[in-house]
Amino acid sequence: MAYSEDHIALAAEYALGTLDADERAQVETMMSVDKDFTAMVEAWEHKLGALNQMVGSVEPRPEVWEKIRTAAGLSEPQAPLMLPEAPAPVVAEPEFSELPPAVDNSNVIALSARARRWRNIATLTTAIAAALVAMIAVGAYQPDLLPDQFRPKPLTQLVQAKPPAPPAAASAQYVAVLQKDGGSPAFILTVDGATRNFTVRKVGASAEPGKSFELWLISDKLPRPRSLGVIGGGDFTARPVLTSYDADTIKAATYAVTLEQPGGSPDGKPSLPPIYAGKLIETVPAAAPAPAH
Amino acid sequence: MLTPAELVWLLAAVAKGDEAAFERLYAATRAKLFGVVLRILRRQELAEEVIQEAYVKIWKSAGQFNPGLSSPITWMASIARNRAIDVMRKRSELSIEEEPAAMEVAADSPDPLARREMTEELKRLLECVGRLEPDRQKLVLLAYYNGWSREQLAAKFETPVNTVKTWLRRSMMDIRECLGL
Repeated sequence: MAYSEDHIALAAEYALGTLDADERAQVETMMSVDKDFTAMVEAWEHKLGALNQMVGSVEPRPEVWEKIRTAAGLSEPQAPLMLPEAPAPVVAEPEFSELPPAVDNSNVIALSARARRWRNIATLTTAIAAALVAMIAVGAYQPDLLPDQFRPKPLTQLVQAKPPAPPAAASAQYVAVLQKDGGSPAFILTVDGATRNFTVRKVGASAEPGKSFELWLISDKLPRPRSLGVIGGGDFTARPVLTSYDADTIKAATYAVTLEQPGGSPDGKPSLPPIYAGKLIETVPAAAPAPAH
Repeated sequence: MLTPAELVWLLAAVAKGDEAAFERLYAATRAKLFGVVLRILRRQELAEEVIQEAYVKIWKSAGQFNPGLSSPITWMASIARNRAIDVMRKRSELSIEEEPAAMEVAADSPDPLARREMTEELKRLLECVGRLEPDRQKLVLLAYYNGWSREQLAAKFETPVNTVKTWLRRSMMDIRECLGL
């Protein structure tokens, strides 16, 4: 399947890690309904995953394995565990500038090209190390140099009397992929179970000039489709209009998009059959608040 | 670290429910996965929770690993890293301000890998990243290694979030073209 640049960028940024929580949930929903899209995300994860070779190993504490064993439901060990605790000895590694002694000198041109390539990589990896270590060091020792949001919070915040943890630390999240006849997704609708706010992300749809997309809620509990407003003017549309419907209606409804005159249907009824439709699925179940750290 | 072929074999055994193989797989990969996750989360305790969840998922979904598409360590690291980023995005207060102890641990990395120890895939990727403008190289690498959001990157680069969004998108498209994806 040919994907739009929007889809490709979404897959790439998912693998890179820069999407926000809603967008990540949307990508995961798209992956659950579209094998080709999943393959594209995984190809990006695989390509970028090579960067992990540069990340140093750190040993987790031994009790982590005990917790994994319990959580995975493994049987108890017969004898005390004999896991190797010490990390592998660190072997001194040659620097980038030190080319290995055994090099084929017969092809000087190729060698110099390769050397240039390696110099570029060496510069880049030095930049990686410098960038990362500098950020961490600055954060630890000179927090004032960091932008506000990165600075350690003043200690006074820690002694403020806090009310009991707010109830809905993680509310259920619902996502619907609105598509035409099982084709590639056009809109992705996300509903927060607690607030009933919804967000629509436009992923593959573009309205004809002079037309607007309008979103409808279709439920067998309601006599006719209810408009949720015009969407798709920008990449994102966020609205709280679902608050007037009860949770069961929201969960069971079909969400459909019609093409209407600019500004939406004049009489509150869809003027044409829907072009995209979908139903909600629960992606993040409601959870108890995480224990305080 | 075991060879990729040994890890593939272990994963195949794990997929059949072989607990001893799972334990060996954990012993061979835990420090790498923990390093990746700790760099993003910066907190020992939180990183341990994520590692625990990641290995439970690996135990349950080992059968989904496809050796034709990925390497075992990359597949496993993606599971752990995705979980770490989900946790970061849902708890935005967990940005950079964390315990100094955790920071020191994370500051040990990255490894100064000798070039002969780099896989061809890493060399190729670094060549492509190296073709980006210097600021964008840093943008992509900070995003990947530290798991930063667009907002965090915008603050770091003192630039509007929308600009960061455009830069990221263009950078990924450039990398895609360079890699021939």
